[in-house]
Amino acid sequence: MTQISVPWQPTQPVRYGLLSRPIVGVAVFIYRMAAPFVRRFPGPILIGAVVGVCLIVWLHALTYAYVDARILGAASVSADPAAAISWTSPGTWGLPPSTVAALIESAGGPAAAWSSILGYLLWPLQFSLTRDLLGLGGLFGLFNLIPIYTIWWERKVAGRIQSRLGPMRVGGWHGWSQSVADGIKLILKEDLIPDGADRILFRAAPYFALVPAGLAFLALPFGAAYVFRELDVALVFILGVLGIEVVGIIMAGWASNNKWSVYGAMREACQMVSYEIPMGMALLIPVVSVGSLSLSVIGEAQSEGWFSWLVFSNPFTFVAFVAYFIASLASCKRAPFDLPEAESELVAGFHTEYSGLRWAFFFFAEYAVMFIVGGLASILFLGGWNSPFPASWGASWSDGILMQGLKGLVFNGPIWFVAKCVFFLYVQIWLRWTLPRIRIDQVLYACVQVLLPLTMLLLLGNTLWVWASMSDSPAWAGVDRIVTYGLGLIGLAFALMFPAIAAYGFYFRRRLVGNLVQDAMPGS
Amino acid sequence: MHQAISTVNPMADTTIEFEAAPDVLIDLDRSEQGDLRTEEMLINMGPQHPSTHGVLRIVLRTDGEMVLEAIPHIGYLHRCAEKIGENLPPYQYIPYTDRMDYLAGMNNNQGFALAVEKLKGIEVPARAQAIRVIFAELNRIASHLVSLGTYGLDMGAFTPFLYCFREREMILDLFEAACGARLTYSYLTIGGTTQDLPEGWVERCREFLDYFEPKITDYNNLLSFNHIFVKRTGRVGVISLEDAIAFGLTGPVLRASGIRWDLRKIMPYDGYEKYEFDVPIGQAGGTREIPHGIEVGDCWSRYYVRVLEMTQSIRIVRQAMDQLPSGDFVAPKVKNLKLPDDEVYVEVENPRGQLGFYVRGDGSAIPSRVKARGPSFCNLSITSHICRNIMLADVPAIIGSIDVVMGEVDR
Amino acid sequence: MPYANDVNNDLFLNRMIFNAMANSTHRTRAEGLGLRDAALIRCAQTFDHSRRLKPAAQGRAKIFPALDCLRWLNPVVGLVCLAVLVVWGPGASSVAAADTLASDVAGVTQAVPGGVLEALLFYLVAGTTVISSLGVCIAKNIVRMAVWLFVALGSVALLYLLLAANFLGAIQLLVYSGGTLVLLIFGIMLTSKSPWVRFEPHRLELLGAAVICGALLVGLCAALTGTTWHGMEEVMPGTSVAALGRRLLTVYLVPFEVAGVLLMIVMVGAAHLARQEK
Repeated sequence: MTQISVPWQPTQPVRYGLLSRPIVGVAVFIYRMAAPFVRRFPGPILIGAVVGVCLIVWLHALTYAYVDARILGAASVSADPAAAISWTSPGTWGLPPSTVAALIESAGGPAAAWSSILGYLLWPLQFSLTRDLLGLGGLFGLFNLIPIYTIWWERKVAGRIQSRLGPMRVGGWHGWSQSVADGIKLILKEDLIPDGADRILFRAAPYFALVPAGLAFLALPFGAAYVFRELDVALVFILGVLGIEVVGIIMAGWASNNKWSVYGAMREACQMVSYEIPMGMALLIPVVSVGSLSLSVIGEAQSEGWFSWLVFSNPFTFVAFVAYFIASLASCKRAPFDLPEAESELVAGFHTEYSGLRWAFFFFAEYAVMFIVGGLASILFLGGWNSPFPASWGASWSDGILMQGLKGLVFNGPIWFVAKCVFFLYVQIWLRWTLPRIRIDQVLYACVQVLLPLTMLLLLGNTLWVWASMSDSPAWAGVDRIVTYGLGLIGLAFALMFPAIAAYGFYFRRRLVGNLVQDAMPGS
Repeated sequence: MHQAISTVNPMADTTIEFEAAPDVLIDLDRSEQGDLRTEEMLINMGPQHPSTHGVLRIVLRTDGEMVLEAIPHIGYLHRCAEKIGENLPPYQYIPYTDRMDYLAGMNNNQGFALAVEKLKGIEVPARAQAIRVIFAELNRIASHLVSLGTYGLDMGAFTPFLYCFREREMILDLFEAACGARLTYSYLTIGGTTQDLPEGWVERCREFLDYFEPKITDYNNLLSFNHIFVKRTGRVGVISLEDAIAFGLTGPVLRASGIRWDLRKIMPYDGYEKYEFDVPIGQAGGTREIPHGIEVGDCWSRYYVRVLEMTQSIRIVRQAMDQLPSGDFVAPKVKNLKLPDDEVYVEVENPRGQLGFYVRGDGSAIPSRVKARGPSFCNLSITSHICRNIMLADVPAIIGSIDVVMGEVDR
Repeated sequence: MPYANDVNNDLFLNRMIFNAMANSTHRTRAEGLGLRDAALIRCAQTFDHSRRLKPAAQGRAKIFPALDCLRWLNPVVGLVCLAVLVVWGPGASSVAAADTLASDVAGVTQAVPGGVLEALLFYLVAGTTVISSLGVCIAKNIVRMAVWLFVALGSVALLYLLLAANFLGAIQLLVYSGGTLVLLIFGIMLTSKSPWVRFEPHRLELLGAAVICGALLVGLCAALTGTTWHGMEEVMPGTSVAALGRRLLTVYLVPFEVAGVLLMIVMVGAAHLARQEK
């Protein structure tokens, strides 16, 4: 008698780990509670969520300003101003909640009635440790939400492009919780490591890909004051941490003990290292124009409306924007540069052997990097958090709290930044579902022979342009102005083209798609 | 191996000299003996791989991104299809032909039916012939749509795949209306078809063709003339005409190499001589129709010949429906089920090339020998010849452009 | 086990035996095994899926089940740890960064208040640097070495950030961790005999390396003891980006250009060597 184990009988029960069941339980509970409402009132909830987030951001700004002015301002009278700001200095520790409440009362207004409660609530906010923890929590939530909803959105957009519907079931309204359900499934999947793999590196690799993507959010400004950590070298820092991601991918590819994975890793290394150079060069161009590496300073330099955006500043920045966008596609391995995970050549590339949560981490990293890359494009070229309307239009608006809030919404604010990032995400998704994939030699040709010399020339040209602009010649100022407005109008034409084409497509959809499809397929 | 064989191209009256197929086998055991250079890697592409179109297994010998050698291994889908044919009466064997080239069931039915009809001397009524032509051409379109879509998928373009399948679904709806099946039809049978066309079918088919014809332009705009696509497939996997003939290639793969060889023109069957159509061939790039960077016999030519053939198939279907005669849809059943003591070999033009059936009867109702000559099998044989010193990403491009169906390779 | 009965009675396994017989290797025959034995071995090898794919929790969880929860905490812990390092590393200086933006241009940044937390962070990061540097030397496998090197370079970058040298830290991340290291791994993978290579130097090589390293150590110690160290009460002037750039293009222009020319020569030489290869 020989004992032979058969494939359909697991050798031992699957272990899920201690935390995955409670996490999934909580997620399912929240989903069960929320789903009936979302199914019935999808529109109001969507609008409410957007408005609510705006309100929260605004209130947060108001509260911080209040605390700064009333509490820190009062405390810093006695102490050294520089030391008072830092939470490590003991100068701010002595203010009890009652003092805070008294300060609120003295300010008057409707808040005075709630001063005793508000005093306790606002008391921790004077310490930057509290603020940092709150900010970290917010960023962590954002870091989770962006990939989840970008993946859902990508599936919806892909569905529409391909005359399908995309996810429709989970959660009721257009499958809004499809990604959450996928996440629950991925958490509960058995954690498999191939035999012969380097177990330690195999397990570590997803974090090496995930954590840099999270770190980049620490220095990415969402608005003039909405940045977690204001770094004077934020741009270099973000580029640096994004460059780390490739190490995780090489580790994953190597540790999987799979030849296809090694191919994916080698392609990724090759592509990332070569495209970092033109990408960095293209990003240096707006830096030269503004004269700072700080993203906040660069963003604030473009607050005077559409024509002040750096992409229209001169012909070199205009082309550099395109060059940067192409290089950024390659660096976050989106189509047509998705060679490291080319499914028709390398099965799944570097993550062939990954499953479950570890696989999801790679996905998270990819989508978070897509957002960051779009964010860099919008800050450095497209005005960041500034709206197309010049901020000077609102100079005469009243100082009332409502008007100031409205000002923050109309002229600048995180909502504009997020909108621009979402636009870039959309373009990346759109390209992915339209274009075929490039071959590796063509990828490298495009980098070394085209993009690299191009960006070098652009950098030189832009530097000369900036140098010429520094001389106070009125003739040159005129040329500069004409070029800026000309490029701005070209950009405006591009920007208007999108809604125009969309409207055309919607109006003639029956003729474009065909009656047969209309009748046969509900999604078209 | 070096005897020069000359053949006459009946369409162009030119003589082509070619050599017999070179020996392409390599010794895999070298890797075990330590003879393999250590920078090189042996990789199994398949049998479970997204772009090997089924269960083809290709062993690649690679040096970095370069593929030095590619050896296809077949047999993972072998179902003894020919042996079954020697144990069943021909009427019962028709469903098995569906399962050979499962993307072109109608054409397979037609090929086997023609062979048995020739063996038994059955006269097929004119209406049945026209219906056969309609269905064979519609199935050609459906098969080419799958080929186009999956080729886009191999190149990393996902969307054309779904467009092609959307249109293919409509053809399958038409098939379902006629015979009740969507994949394994068994509709064209010995002596004609199993049933007549249902009422209103021709109108529905016309509606579909009117809808479908402009869609080909969409595919061209989306995929065929896409710059990246042209760069990926142009001048890749070039098959010279000599090689194509030496390896016995047929169908779009042969025509892409620049010869107008189409059985529907050369040895017409089922009344193909009554219809007007062109035989598209591969052309060099740089003209108004063909973009720059295209060579005769490369992957793009093979792809584009299929696109052009769809237009010609539409023409044929339209003509056949216009001239659709009335009458019987099947020849009267013969009482004598016994096959004569004789042998026949009949070839038809399948979407993938020439499908031949050899049937030998021995006086009983069951043939003593059934042998199929599959186009995919013969076309696949050139893989290792052209997959030398190419990039890794070119392997799916070449395999996809040859367009094999493993069900028919392994039979 | 319900399915593991007599092999001959199981139709499925019989078919497997048939396949295995068809594919049985000459090696098993050479070892004096019968066909049936070879088939059985092959069956067992092919269909014991636990041999190919092992659940990650197998083995370890039995010993210490509580460790299992760490698996799901990993990302959180990793993110929080790194965030802590980055936030309170440069944090001490960059809380005041908004104020110092203007003063950066003048080349002076504000005072950095030290503290217990900073000291803790320093020892943590410095310890990581030491351990990972040792890891580079001790590891046998080249990719593991590269990963250790990555950790070492990354923690040096964190040290720079702790010293409020933000620009240097970011550049260290960008150039060494992200660029050079990847090129290094890439080069190793492409030029070595296979990606799964092990690095086993000869003893003489080890001796030479030890001599060189010893000399380096002595030199470093001499330099360390010979330098008079300033206290860390204030940041040295000239660390801001603008000031750095100004100094590189004025005071240190010649060394800067010489370094540039040197790199250019290296690049041309590399290109020349690569061409000669053909």
